[in-house]
Amino acid sequence: MDQPNSSGGDAQAKRPVAIGSGMTSTKHEFRAEYVNPFIRSVSNLFRTLFKCNVERKEVVLKRRLPPNLDIVALAGLSGGVRGLVALAFPVRTALAMVSRAYDERIVVVDDKVLDAVAECVNIVAGGAQSELASAAGTPIVLSLPTVIRGNDFSLEYPALRNWVEVPFTSELGPFSIRITIAANRSESDSNASIDCG
Amino acid sequence: MRALIVDDSVLARAMLARALKESGIPEIDQAEDGFEAIEKIRENAYDLILMDCNMPNMTGLDTVRTIRNEGKEMPIIVVSCESDQRMVAEILSSGANDYIVKPFEPKTISGILRKVLPDSSKQDRDL
Repeated sequence: MDQPNSSGGDAQAKRPVAIGSGMTSTKHEFRAEYVNPFIRSVSNLFRTLFKCNVERKEVVLKRRLPPNLDIVALAGLSGGVRGLVALAFPVRTALAMVSRAYDERIVVVDDKVLDAVAECVNIVAGGAQSELASAAGTPIVLSLPTVIRGNDFSLEYPALRNWVEVPFTSELGPFSIRITIAANRSESDSNASIDCG
Repeated sequence: MRALIVDDSVLARAMLARALKESGIPEIDQAEDGFEAIEKIRENAYDLILMDCNMPNMTGLDTVRTIRNEGKEMPIIVVSCESDQRMVAEILSSGANDYIVKPFEPKTISGILRKVLPDSSKQDRDL
């Protein structure tokens, strides 16, 4: 796996990352063309909506996700691919983002904040949609977003066992994007579940 | 000049309202989904509609088709996260006048308004 360095700010966030070489799993291998569109989309979201550059840290492939951050926004992908994309934020990052977007100080996680992180994952998935469709050869359908608050849960996607996690830092705080995705060869195994502990 | 923003996201509505105000649109109403939008359009005269695509209850595409089937001819701009060109083509063939992908810069909105509202530059000057 090509380990990207963590310097270079926004330009570095936009640089494609090689994922897949030498990384195999029991179920499938991640394809870089399925992950890079999300990285570019995250960078575009923060630059346009939050007027903020992001810095991508080391990309990791995991069977199990690391401990959850406080707020997770999820969107499902179907059609040419199947999978989930999740944006995970500490509370302070989410509050800083939403404060900047509204240009007012927001100090409590309320419906406004949850709505905003849902819109963020929607935008990130939508931004990646076109490139994913090109890679998969067929259109990609996005689900409506879901937001989970708290840490006592695990994300499971039974049809796919590996997750790519891409951590980012920014002046608004750290966050990460987590992706599990594969070409859709069967419609029957595309059920996701969330195991609340 | 009166506009209606249709989006299930509070943040998206706020961003669009800010961009419309900066473009000189004085009256802005909002709806959370297609059903509420259709109700408002039946009751009020709008010069412009900004419409999300991926919404609960009724999609933006179905909402645009319903508005056009009712004979309303105001410009409808779809503002959506979806970037797939096939989706864009479907949106435009449903009766929408133009399409903007989120996230957008405010200047993108003002550029589109100049395209779809013939007197939008006059509107700017009048304010």
